[in-house]
Amino acid sequence: MNKVSFKMVVILTAVAFIASLLISLVYSTTKDRIEDEYRKEFLRGLVSVFPPFDNEPDSEKKNINDTVVYIAKKSDKVIAYAVKSLSKKGYGGSIEVLVGVDILGDITGIEILKHAETPGLGNKIEKVFFKDAFKGLNILDKIAVKKDGGIIDEFSGATITPRAVCEAVEKGLIFISTNVLEPR
Amino acid sequence: MKYRIFVKGLWENNAVFKQVLGMCPVLAVTTSAINGIAMGVASTVVLVCSNMVVSLIKNIIPSKVRIPTYIVVIAAFVTIIDLLMNAYFHDIHKVLGLFVPLIVVNCMILGRAESFASKNNLSNSIMDGLGVGIGFTMALFLLGSIREILGNGSIFNFYILSENFEPAVIMILPPGAFITLGFLLFLVNYIDDIGKHKE
Repeated sequence: MNKVSFKMVVILTAVAFIASLLISLVYSTTKDRIEDEYRKEFLRGLVSVFPPFDNEPDSEKKNINDTVVYIAKKSDKVIAYAVKSLSKKGYGGSIEVLVGVDILGDITGIEILKHAETPGLGNKIEKVFFKDAFKGLNILDKIAVKKDGGIIDEFSGATITPRAVCEAVEKGLIFISTNVLEPR
Repeated sequence: MKYRIFVKGLWENNAVFKQVLGMCPVLAVTTSAINGIAMGVASTVVLVCSNMVVSLIKNIIPSKVRIPTYIVVIAAFVTIIDLLMNAYFHDIHKVLGLFVPLIVVNCMILGRAESFASKNNLSNSIMDGLGVGIGFTMALFLLGSIREILGNGSIFNFYILSENFEPAVIMILPPGAFITLGFLLFLVNYIDDIGKHKE
């Protein structure tokens, strides 16, 4: 190996080494904070799907049929359950929804956790008025967009996205009603 | 002299309007004014840092491996910015998330490292990075505001147009980015032409 190419290898290695050192430094200092931010974000989601509670639902959870169920309690009495539910029928990939259901089987709220829908069209599912439309519905209601004979409003120009949300919400509701709640 | 370099980067060599570089972030993230600014600021920070480092190490880098070295430097800064944004500006990171790692392949940044920072001293390189970066931010902000106003009727999430205004959703969608950029390019070159004729 001649001198020139040896120098090339040494310098490129040195640069890469210093760069990775710096990155690992920043990573270790921000790691906890990033985890904390994700946890806070999820907790915000839980707060918006549950009625007022006084425990920590993200640590008080149960595994039922391989699905994590989050439990909200007030004065040590269970008031509602929540599950993450996924629909793959979104316009820009899958949509993940958090569905909260109280012990009577009525939806207490939903929250969109993850989506890649079109800004300005499909992403209106993040708006409060859309999410509120699901409140109070139970397993006897037809959770679908009006075009499909249901009771949820679609937006002009975007039917696929609300349809996918409906599917996810219904799946979550059915899961809680059949596996978590006691049969009425 | 320093001032000249800054203005040159900001306007005469504006990355978006004159060189038409870095089109991926320009077209993809400018759905709103705030997204444009956030992307612009993140790119500017990376650009200034990479210009700085490249200018400092320019004499010890063998010319055959200069491009890989620049890419390593840029990628390191982008990763650091990505982590910091995730930790301290979590909400904006959620929106821009996918596009932040793509700053690595923004040819504007590699372009400045290769064509300016590798030939100039530290202070000039910082000045050039600031000029080009702020010019880039300005262009993204302009594009983002126009698209947000026409496509959503709002700016910085404040609704400024009346209820009767029916937003043209296409402006938020990808075609809107191309249309707006086309008109802005026309406008900037027109203004430049007028300036030249006067001289």
